[in-house]
Amino acid sequence: MSRSGTYSLISEACRAGALSAIAQINADSDLDFTLHAVERDPEGNVDRYEPMCRDILDSTSARHVVGCVTSWSRKEVIPTLERAGATLWYSVPYEGFEASDHVVYTHACPNQHLLPLLDWAIPTYGNRAYLIGSNYIWGWEMNRIARQEIAMQGGEILGERYLPIGSPDVELMIREIASTRPDFILNSMIGRSQYQFIAAYHELGKTDPHFLPDNCPIMSCNLTEAELPALGDATEGLIAVGPYFRGSKVWPGEQNFNSSHEASTYTAVRELARLLALCPNAENLSLAELLRIDGAAVGIIDAQNHHTRLPVLIGQVEGGAFAIRRQFAPIMGDPYLSRGRGELEEVPPNLRVVS
Amino acid sequence: MTRRVSIQELGGAHAIILHREHATVRNLSRQLGAIGLRITTCWPVLDASALGADFVFFDADMGHDEQFPWPAGQSPMPMIALIGSEAPGRIDWALSAGAEAQLLKPIGDGGVYSALLIARAAYDARKALLGDVESLRRRLNERQTVVRAVNFLMVSGVDEDAAYDRLRRMAMDWRISFEDAAQRVVARHLEKGDLHDRYGHQG
Repeated sequence: MSRSGTYSLISEACRAGALSAIAQINADSDLDFTLHAVERDPEGNVDRYEPMCRDILDSTSARHVVGCVTSWSRKEVIPTLERAGATLWYSVPYEGFEASDHVVYTHACPNQHLLPLLDWAIPTYGNRAYLIGSNYIWGWEMNRIARQEIAMQGGEILGERYLPIGSPDVELMIREIASTRPDFILNSMIGRSQYQFIAAYHELGKTDPHFLPDNCPIMSCNLTEAELPALGDATEGLIAVGPYFRGSKVWPGEQNFNSSHEASTYTAVRELARLLALCPNAENLSLAELLRIDGAAVGIIDAQNHHTRLPVLIGQVEGGAFAIRRQFAPIMGDPYLSRGRGELEEVPPNLRVVS
Repeated sequence: MTRRVSIQELGGAHAIILHREHATVRNLSRQLGAIGLRITTCWPVLDASALGADFVFFDADMGHDEQFPWPAGQSPMPMIALIGSEAPGRIDWALSAGAEAQLLKPIGDGGVYSALLIARAAYDARKALLGDVESLRRRLNERQTVVRAVNFLMVSGVDEDAAYDRLRRMAMDWRISFEDAAQRVVARHLEKGDLHDRYGHQG
């Protein structure tokens, strides 16, 4: 978990979820094991993930790694996990098109975030979009899917710009947005670039009402409560999609979390503990072996693609917290978008869903 | 970016793996299943039901032409070679069998998705090119017919350019190709017993 570096707020949220699950598990006298966390901080530097992951697997008995925020870092560690027969529990939203035998994906992929968001956004705000992203696979692939979807729905992409991770140079995109006047902005930037952009766009809204959230909102598939503190007074009206917003009770259970990042990491560690409790000496098994144990199949992990079933909530910041605009019943992650586009089942916000 | 819509349409596609029972098959099947394909495993030969498959993965190490129910290199779907020995003879054979992409053994955690997309793109491109070549070849063969049709049309006293234009208009009116229109014109004149064109050539 990168507790320092440009996306440390997300890492801290994930870490809080993992530690809270570990504390619960270790306090549970029904379990005949305790979990011990070995921690490393790659500082948001993609080149430090693989060596640190290798070091954990070589120098400790740990076989389960919880962490990675960017897809770039996840793809760096997968070959190392494969060699060691180890498992990564990856608990942040990502762009899909992956189903590693050594990874469990407990946050949303595009059929659980981007596609439902666009299906709602286009009739609500219009079909002229401006796309921004950080310059790596998350931004590229999200915007590719968005281009395809928006074009299929008869819409138009007015511009598409990327910034290197951590770059604050948002002026060009702000200028283009000011002149092209889209109906909404799809934001797939992370960390400092995103904070800088949201602040600059907030200023733009003060000079021209077209750029107020009611007319042309910023929408994200990875923004949660964890990052609102970095955005000061510019958060009002931001739109995000995710499986959980503070106060929702649909998933993962009754417990409250500060963000979906925290909830999905908590869920990952709880599921790991459930699998480990199914048979003796399970701590040395690979993910494929764990999933073949009797009783594994009733868990949250899809046996074929290792994704999970998640509700889809579209929230908008209102008075500093996310208010739910739309809520859909849980659907299974479909990373290759190969299982077809069924109609999502809409449920009224804040009602319990029995799935 | 024009290919972007079709690039994802793999859900429910049928892949056949022509390989003896092996970890290669298990790891390949896991990846295919995760991507959303239906899988059939065959060994040592493909039967005629393979003709309906969307992809064939075949063993390049132990493979030979008689395993396939189609002539070498004429598979009706993209083919992906599973290569263990990177020996020139085996690679030669895999190419002649029609490999559009390859995966190296041992197969681990990745590689299948890109192999599927690359094989399909290469297959589609090859098919489109073959179609173009076929139609060009046909048009080349019909050149003589076009010349004769123009000559027949010139019998009515118009010059070559006007006869050519008339033939083009006929093709458009009849909604057929230029060459087909030429054939029709020649056939019609022959039926009328109009055995000689403007130059007195025998029809």
